[in-house]
Formats: sequence, C-alpha cells, structure tokens
Amino acid sequence: MSTPAAAAVRTGVALRETLASARESWTDTATAGGAVAVAAALAPFVLGGLIATDTLASGAYLALAATGLGLCVGLAGVPSLAQGAFVGTGAFAAAHVLRHTQLPAELCALIGAIAAAGLGTAAGFAVRSLDAVRVAVGTWLLSWLLALALGALPWLSGGAQGLVVPTRRLFGFSPTPLVHYELAVILTGLCALALVALRRGPFGLDLAAAARHRGAAAALGVPMERLRVGAFAASAFVGGLAGGFAVQLDIVADPTAYGPLLSFELLVAVLVGGAAAALGPSAGVVVLGLIALAARALGGLAGVSGSRFQPMLEALLLLAVLTTGGNAFVPAAIASARRLRPERRRQSRPAGAPARRRRELLRADELSKRFGTVTAVDGVSLELMPRTITALVGPNGSGKTTVLRLLAGAQPPDHGRITLGSHELTAASAAERVQIGLVRTLQTRAYFGELTVLQHALVGTNRTRRHGGAVRALVSTPLYRAENRLAEAQTFAALETVGLAADADRPASELTGAGRQRLMIAAALATNPSVFLLDEPSAGAAPEDLERLTAILRRLKADGLAVLLVEHNLSLVRAVADETLELELGRVVRRETNGRL
Amino acid sequence: MRASAATLAALALVAAGCGHSSASKQRTILIAVDAPFSRSPYIGNTIANGGRLASDQLTLRGITTGGATYRVRILQLDNALSPSRAVANVRRALREHATAILTDGTGVDAAWRLADKQHVPVCIAYQGGSKLVNPENRPNVFRIAPTDHGLAFRLAEYLVPKRLKIALLTDDSDYGQAGRDALDDAFRTVPKAVAARITLPASASDLAPQVLEARRSGATALLVWARPAVLGKTIAATRSAGWHVPVYSTPAAEDPVVRQQLADHPSWVDGLTFASGRMTAELGPAPWSTFEASYETAFGATSVGVKSHGRRVIAPPDYAMYSYDFVNLLAAAVQSASGTDPAKVLSALNQVTTRGANGDERGFNERNHEGVVDDDVYFARFRDMVFRPVGDDPLSSTLPEISQVR
Repeated sequence: MSTPAAAAVRTGVALRETLASARESWTDTATAGGAVAVAAALAPFVLGGLIATDTLASGAYLALAATGLGLCVGLAGVPSLAQGAFVGTGAFAAAHVLRHTQLPAELCALIGAIAAAGLGTAAGFAVRSLDAVRVAVGTWLLSWLLALALGALPWLSGGAQGLVVPTRRLFGFSPTPLVHYELAVILTGLCALALVALRRGPFGLDLAAAARHRGAAAALGVPMERLRVGAFAASAFVGGLAGGFAVQLDIVADPTAYGPLLSFELLVAVLVGGAAAALGPSAGVVVLGLIALAARALGGLAGVSGSRFQPMLEALLLLAVLTTGGNAFVPAAIASARRLRPERRRQSRPAGAPARRRRELLRADELSKRFGTVTAVDGVSLELMPRTITALVGPNGSGKTTVLRLLAGAQPPDHGRITLGSHELTAASAAERVQIGLVRTLQTRAYFGELTVLQHALVGTNRTRRHGGAVRALVSTPLYRAENRLAEAQTFAALETVGLAADADRPASELTGAGRQRLMIAAALATNPSVFLLDEPSAGAAPEDLERLTAILRRLKADGLAVLLVEHNLSLVRAVADETLELELGRVVRRETNGRL
Repeated sequence: MRASAATLAALALVAAGCGHSSASKQRTILIAVDAPFSRSPYIGNTIANGGRLASDQLTLRGITTGGATYRVRILQLDNALSPSRAVANVRRALREHATAILTDGTGVDAAWRLADKQHVPVCIAYQGGSKLVNPENRPNVFRIAPTDHGLAFRLAEYLVPKRLKIALLTDDSDYGQAGRDALDDAFRTVPKAVAARITLPASASDLAPQVLEARRSGATALLVWARPAVLGKTIAATRSAGWHVPVYSTPAAEDPVVRQQLADHPSWVDGLTFASGRMTAELGPAPWSTFEASYETAFGATSVGVKSHGRRVIAPPDYAMYSYDFVNLLAAAVQSASGTDPAKVLSALNQVTTRGANGDERGFNERNHEGVVDDDVYFARFRDMVFRPVGDDPLSSTLPEISQVR
C-alpha cells in the first residue's frame, strides 16, 4: 500500500477510535453542556430586543476570560486575582500591534495572548510555592501594578482617550458585534472543552492532587511548582486572548477597564458559578450580568449610579457562596441532577498487564543530616535488596522518618550518597527519584479531595508517562489514548493489589482511614516502582486492616520490590520484615534478620 | 340610503381626520448625553441639565417642520470617564436612533467614527483637547467649550506682560498632561517667563515638596493646570508655607471642590485667578440672567457648600450654557433639514446659527467646528468665595459681575 493510502487508513482508524472513545465517555452532563452551547450561540437572535449584541459580546469575552481563570482556580486551586491584568495585557499588546502593523486581527489577538502568557509565566513563577492567601495577595498587587502603570504611562495606555484600535475583518467576516459574540462563544466553548480534557488527563490530575495535598502529591513525584507556573501561563493566555479580541470589539484599549475590580469580578464569577465545572465560570458571568441589572435598579431607587452598588452586591454574593459551604451554582446543579439520574458506571475494566520495571538495589552510604545543633541522622548506611522488606524501627525522634525523607529526596542529606542500580540519586529531586523507581508514602492518611479512587491512583502513573502532556491531552492523540489505556490497566493492577479495584469509581472521600492509606499505597504502586518506602502504614489500623496490610506487604515483596518499612508496630515488623534496623539518636545501633528483634 | 350616505360621509371625515393626524404626528429628537455621571457628577449633571433645560423649552414651544411636530428627549448615559463605556454608550445611542450625542469628550477619539458612519453629530461640551475636533478628519465632531489652546494662549497673553516668573504646575492626570502640552505651546516664544515646569502627583496628599521646588526656582507666580482637588491641595501647600504668591488656573478653579477644600481658610482662596469662557456677551447680562433664572427654576441653584458674608454661595451654570446652546442649535438644524434625516441634520449643523444663552451667536461651518472662540476666554478672580471678572484684562474688564450668592 502506498504511503498516502496507509496514512489515510491510519487516520480513519484513529478517527473511528476517537468517535468510539467519545461515545463511550459521553454523559448526561455532556448533553446538557451541548444544549447550553447551542442556546448561547442563538442568544442574540432570541434576546436581540432585550440585550444589545455588543453587550452580549462583551459578556461572552468576559466568560472566556473567566473560563481561563477556571483553569487556575478550578484545576490548580490557586485563587488568582490577576486575570484582569492578563486580559489588559492582551488587550494593550493587541492594540499596539494593530496600530503599528498591518497584521490580521486574529494574529494580533494571538500576540496579545502570548504577551499575557509571558506575564502569567512570570507571575506563576513568583507565586509558585506560596500558599493560597499569599497567592491572592501577590496577584492582587500585580493587578494594581498594571492599573498604575497604565495610569502613569500615556504612551502605553493612550491616556484618557485610550488607544484607538483600527478595525479589521475577523476570519473573513466584518467585525460586527454579532461576529464577535459568536467568536467569543466558540472560544469559550473550546476553552471549556479544553478544561474538561485537561481535568481528566495527567495534567489536571496532578494539579488536583497538588492542590488538595501538597505533601502527598510531592511524595508521588508531582512537580507542583512547574505545574502551577503552567496553569498560570495557560490561564493568562486565555485571558490575553479574550482581551485581544475584546479590544477589537470595543475599538479602544481603555486604561480604566482593566483595574483590580475586573480581576475581582472574574474571580467572583468563577467562585459563584463553580470552578470545578467547565461551564461554571460562564454561568458566573451570567450571574454577574444579573447583578448589574439589580444594581441598576437599586441605583435608580437611590437616585445614584448603579455602578456604586455592583461591587457591593458581588461581594455579598461571594460571601453568601463561601459561607454556605462554597457550593457554587453549576456544581450544585450537576450534583442535584446526578442524585435524580445517576451517571452510568464503567462496566468494563481495561485489560493488559503493565511492563514491570527492572528491580534494582538501593544503596545509601553514610547519610547524615543536621537541623541546627541537632543531629537527626548520623552516618546511616543501608541496602534495600529487591524482593526484601527492610524495617526501620526505633523510638520517637530516633531519625526514622528523616532517613525516609533523605532517601525519597524530600530533604537533601548533608553528607552521604544514594544510588539505585546505576542511577546516582543523591542530588535528584523527589520527582526524578519517582521516575527512576523510588517512591514513598506519607505517615498521614492524606487523600486528594473529590477525586475518585481510580483518579487518585492514576496520579501515580503520570510520572512514567511519555505521551501524557497537556497539549496531547487537549487533542487526545492516538498515542495519548493508547497510553491512557495502559495507565488505567497499571492502575487497576495496583488497586487490585490493595483490594480497592471494586471501588474504582467511588469518591476517595467515602473510604475509611485505612482504605485511604491503602489507596495511597496503590497510587505509589502505580508509579511502577522498584523501591517502595512506607512510613508507618499501620498507624491507627484496626486488626482486620493489619491483616490486609500484612498481605499487601507480602504481595509487594513477592512482586520483587525492595521495601523499606518505617514502623512502630513490632508485630507487623516481625510478620513481614526480612531485615530490621534499629535507630537511636540518628545512628543504626542494631541490625537483625528474619524478623528477630 | 340617506342614512348610509351620511354614515359614509362621517367615516370619510374620520378617515380624513386620521390622515391629517398621521401627517402631523409627534416625533422625537433624541439626544444622548454621554457624560461621567458616576465619576464626576458635577460635570455630568451640568452638561445634562443644560441639555434638558433646552429640550424642555423646545418641547414646550414645539418644533414643527416637514409636516411633523417634534419633542426633544434626553437620554442620559454614564461613561464613568471610561472610553470603552463611552463607545458602548454611543452604540446604544445609535441603536436608539439618537439625532445627536452630547458628551464631555471622554472616548471621542474612539467613538466618533461609529457615529460618523450614521452621520450622527457628536458635540463636546467640556474637554478642550486640540486633537478632539478637526472638521476635515472628523466631520461629525463639534465642540462648544473653551479649548485648551485658547485657555493657554489667553493665559500667556495675560501673564507675560506682567513680567512674572511663572512656575507651570501641571498634575499627572490626563487633564494636566494635556494642559502641559498647551502651555508649552503657548509659552514657547517667551521661555524667560517660565521659571520652572513641575509635575504634581495627583495622588499625593501633600504637595509641599513641589511648592517648595517652585519657590526655590525663583517663581513669582504659579500657573496650576490640574484637576480641582489637586489645585486645592496646591493652594493649601502654598499658603500654609506662608508664600503669598499669585496663583492662576483654568476653569477647574470654579469647581465647588476647590472652595470646599479650602473652606476653613477662605482667605487662601482670595486672589485665585482663572481663565474660562465668558458668561455674558456684548448684549449685556440680560440673556445670561434669563438663562440662569430658568436653570435655577428647573433644577435649583448649584450650591458650592460655602458661605460669603453669611450668604449661600452658588455655582453659576456656565458650562451648562454650552450644552443648552448645542441643543438649540441642533433643533435649528432639524428645522433647516425639515426632519431628522441624519445626513441632512449633520449638513445643516454647518449652516445654522442661533442666539446662545448669553446672547452670543452660536454656530459652526464646514471649516470651523469650535463653538467658543479663543477670544471669548476671560479672567476672573476670587474674593470672599465668589469670583468676578478682573479689571486688568481688556475683555474681562468690560464684563459685568454675576451674582453668586443667594
């Protein structure tokens, strides 16, 4: 068969697979989303007499910017108050390019989006490791900074009259408000779909994990800071795109339009509509529109401008949503609908055994760690052999968990060396160690918020994926889908090992404490490790849970893993350990074999 | 049969009556007032009230042309000093088939083209920027208000012969920056008259450092082109430092905000001199008094919030006069065009003239869309919280004093 013909056949197969996959994953929520999209597209024809098309188009661009912010708030759990600044950056960058070049309007908007993404990357880098409150304050300051810069630099902002933007055709159409509206609806729809695709993919699962429990995510090698910068950049890109097109609708880049109030309104829209739902931010923008109408009515009654009431009403609504449990409109509606008509559960389980990693020896030589004047670990050496369980015991403060952290890369040692087979790990990050085959679980019964059991465990597979990037997830390439199937198989195998395969579609929050502990073991197993570090897995376990844990540890050993078990429960240690190291004041004071203590 | 004929005749009469009624049916001249009602209510309300007064008088009087009777309606739209909101307002005005748009000037650079596509005239009744009005490039943009160019050149013309060393103080707002450009232009040929050029940060709470800089420059007069609040702070910083230098300014000085800011020190306001468009013309104060009385009857006097010799001080509606004059001019254009056909009204606006509120003749032509000529700029000086024309300027010395107490 000739090359073009072969390519056509491959394309046909890929398309059929895509359709089948779409059919399989189509839900009632997707049907509702489609209906909303159609209704939105027809809105100007239905509401023409009530709401002006240019007002609708402005609102639709606002919805696009809010959906972009949903990526940051909903996926990464980062309350950014800089989206208005990103919209403004896109608007002014596009306005300057439009004024000084003859480039097509779409390209100018794209340049605006890229400029905003640049600012978003810088902002994300600055706040990558901050907690939510500091992120909110930092990004709020960025919004002020842009507003002040626009006020102080007339050459940039055009002064009080703004930068007047020349109008050009949009995708071959005259740039009427109707064309802008339909374009904004299409872009918002695409952005919402992208949000859904990213949320289901490795990028979204990693972000969700990092947002819910940073420590547990770090233990699974989730590169939180890089993901956060990526979420900021993507969010800013969408905001900049909205600004780049909206400025062409407004025909002026207005320095007064992109102040901190816009950032606040966008965040209100996302939180009120629901950051967890793809269409939540758009619904939030509709609510804001209704608030504007209410503010106008109140203003009419009070004899002042309605704009004086609008921020007040928005703040009240936000407070109401937050104080009533933060259950926003769209997620609440979806939850109610699901109670009435539950979504069908997955019937088939993916088949196929994952390829096992080569089992290797972990060697640690003369590890030392001091915290100020306290020596936590003092010259500890150990070897973790494949198909062996090594227990680390000792009184509280003896340095057990610190040894575990040094091995996992959560803290760097002051002295010493760590190798896994031929890999030098001493300077490797936690994420790199997970990729090489060294994984750890936490002492706490951490879990990742609303994710299902399957999604939890899938977070573990992301470290070993080669085709799971955000862009591939967006376009759902054949390689991405194939790797997805493999990841699911690997994850089901891990869930079966810990006895949770039957609970795959349940929310993790419904599991017991011991169940969550086993779930995190499954997530760690899904990374396909050769060395497994467990930090007190029996803490708080009931007798029946201990039995199950014992069986799991034996299964790990049987599968050829090298296991390091930090444990207080000596009966468990006796039951499973091949070698036991006793620590005291950071030193190994005793080594025993075959469970003798 | 006879009864049937009578009925038919009666029906014919009714039908004829209906036909006549339809021919002379009432139509509307809609004027959209796009102004900063929420951000600068004094300016917004001044423009809107002037327009509304004229529209009420015209509707009462009745405009009949082309077989129809017209009433004038004002549509108030808040631009909040935002150009993009001004564009949205102009779009709305055009959707509602406005015959003209009356604005403070916000967003005109962006919005005039939208209005021009439908031949709708835009009249600026406040801002004086020289680039806003250009009959060749912007055939639908008009202005009835003093221009920055006119104010700056009249100030230079007035101050230079006094052999003063002037510190030019402009704030960092757009108003101040536009003023700085106009002043640079006006004082270009007399650089020795300028002791310093200083920018006032509009957001600063204390302007003592800038005033000290002006004092060190050897200035013997201050010319402040800034928003009213900044002007008030500049005067406070100057007088509290014990510096009794003469202070000159723009129409911002007559904004009530300045006097309210300095209400605790009325003597600090004394001597403040400013340039503005004259309220009275060669015909004397009678036309202005009539206009002012009508304005106060309709909307009440605009209280400044301070007292002079125990009596309430009011702000004369001088800028309301400009929007009042434009609405009358538009009505004349509608009559001349025999209807509200936009292209015909726009064309007629270049032809018609009317008698303005102060008795001056107002009108435009194809080459000049400025309704207030530079020679109409006069000077007034404050004493006891009210201002009166100065005596050392040829034009101002001929103008009568307008009562500002009630």
